Amino acid sequence: MPEGRKLPAGRLRAPGRPGRLRRADPHTLVGAYVMDAVTDDDRARFEQHLAGCETCRAEVRGLREAAARLAAAAAIRPRAGLREQTMLAAGQIRQLPPVTRDSPAGRVPWWRAGRHALARLTGAAVAGRPRAWVPRLAVAVAVVFAIAAVAMGTAMHGAENRLDLAQGRSHAIAIVLGAPDVTMLTAQVSTGGSATVVMSHRDGALVFTAAGLPALPGSSSYELWLMGPGGPRSAGVLPAARGGMTGPMVISGLAAGDKVGLTVEPAGGSGRPTSPPILMLGLGI
Amino acid sequence: MPNHVVAAVTAASRSAGGQAKRAVSAEYRYMNVPRTGPGASGGPRETALPGSGEPPGAELGALLVRVARGDEDAFRGVFDHAAGPVLGTVRRILRDPAQSEEVMQEVLLEVWRTAARFDPDVGSGAAWIMTLAHRRAVDRVRSERSAARRELRAAAASVEYDEVTEAVELNLDHERVRRCLTSLTELQREAVTLAYYHGYTYREVAELLGVAVGTVKTRMRDGLIRLRDCLGVE
Repeated sequence: MPEGRKLPAGRLRAPGRPGRLRRADPHTLVGAYVMDAVTDDDRARFEQHLAGCETCRAEVRGLREAAARLAAAAAIRPRAGLREQTMLAAGQIRQLPPVTRDSPAGRVPWWRAGRHALARLTGAAVAGRPRAWVPRLAVAVAVVFAIAAVAMGTAMHGAENRLDLAQGRSHAIAIVLGAPDVTMLTAQVSTGGSATVVMSHRDGALVFTAAGLPALPGSSSYELWLMGPGGPRSAGVLPAARGGMTGPMVISGLAAGDKVGLTVEPAGGSGRPTSPPILMLGLGI
Repeated sequence: MPNHVVAAVTAASRSAGGQAKRAVSAEYRYMNVPRTGPGASGGPRETALPGSGEPPGAELGALLVRVARGDEDAFRGVFDHAAGPVLGTVRRILRDPAQSEEVMQEVLLEVWRTAARFDPDVGSGAAWIMTLAHRRAVDRVRSERSAARRELRAAAASVEYDEVTEAVELNLDHERVRRCLTSLTELQREAVTLAYYHGYTYREVAELLGVAVGTVKTRMRDGLIRLRDCLGVE
């Protein structure tokens, strides 16, 4: 790259400060900063610099607009269904209020708004060096919700399913999905299809969904079990699948050592499993 | 940095502009678009194409103001405008289709949640959303990279593997950006595309290109400045 050597570093020294080393001028980072091509340390340093430099903020704004056009140029079409899933998930998320003059944190610079908003949400301190991947709670939960929706049926066709999701998603489901400690587990069902469990340890509850389970003859049903040290407890018969999706079912009262099991039973279910489990999912509790 | 220094940097890089044509083929590797013709590269400043109307960010900004008031229809509109660019950008960085969709949804939901913090006076809605999206994708890919302790060499190899399978939405932005990118020098363009579309840090880009770190920082900046001026964004 001969071009790289055409412009000696010294040429970029700010006039009037001849002795100043370029290394000491964080402003050269502006392009890398705008494109997130910086480490957390670099970013923190640069934001300190920005705080005291109005022309630098103006430059950041202009370059962000240019970068946004790079994003626009890379656009690809999201697959059908993602929009409605996202809309549904949004319906579960409380929006942040606007920052007002009397907000405790006062006016937050826009480029930091996200972090401050997050801090307010989680009660965490806004550190000079944010962790690389700070968990964003509300969003994480909504994403679990969205993933559960995906697991329940990759394509949510038609108004019927949407209505079903909107109405059938009971308060109990919302509580599990809204718990601060939700975790998600997925597993293949041995006879075909997959199961997804979204669980809250705190609430001792989980939401079970399955996708692509093979249809059973009318004489049989899928039955869900909690299988613990004390033996299996029925968690109910799975409802008939709709559009390839089964559930969601809410199961509460989880106990230590419980696993989720799925068996095929005579229609209407059994008191105890009468066939080997086609799914056994350890919950780590 | 004072404006005249910016101008000097831009002028200095423009003097190396003769390399742009040579670099066109390399560029298509990054942009993943079929070449529409060798003479397609425009002048240093691209004028708005007829029918392009308002800048793309303007409408989003108005929608975001409504989203902040809980307007779900407006949020649907935001999705229609922003999901494609967000998904495309995230997908370029993460590669994994399922993970990219997940991040795209995270970003859109974060937009819903924090819309009240969007201030139209300090930037367009598109810039606000894309800043969020790019940062999120880069955070994700970096945490994975360090977790997997992937060698930079392996990352370098993946630069060659750059075929996103989905059809790129061929829009006005796409064409204008493509043309403006050809007005950058090869090093500017490589620095910008490796950073923006691949999520590399300036140090990684320096390593990949075998160029001094300071040079890469400078090229990222003057490359973006030239792109900004060419696109006519404020």
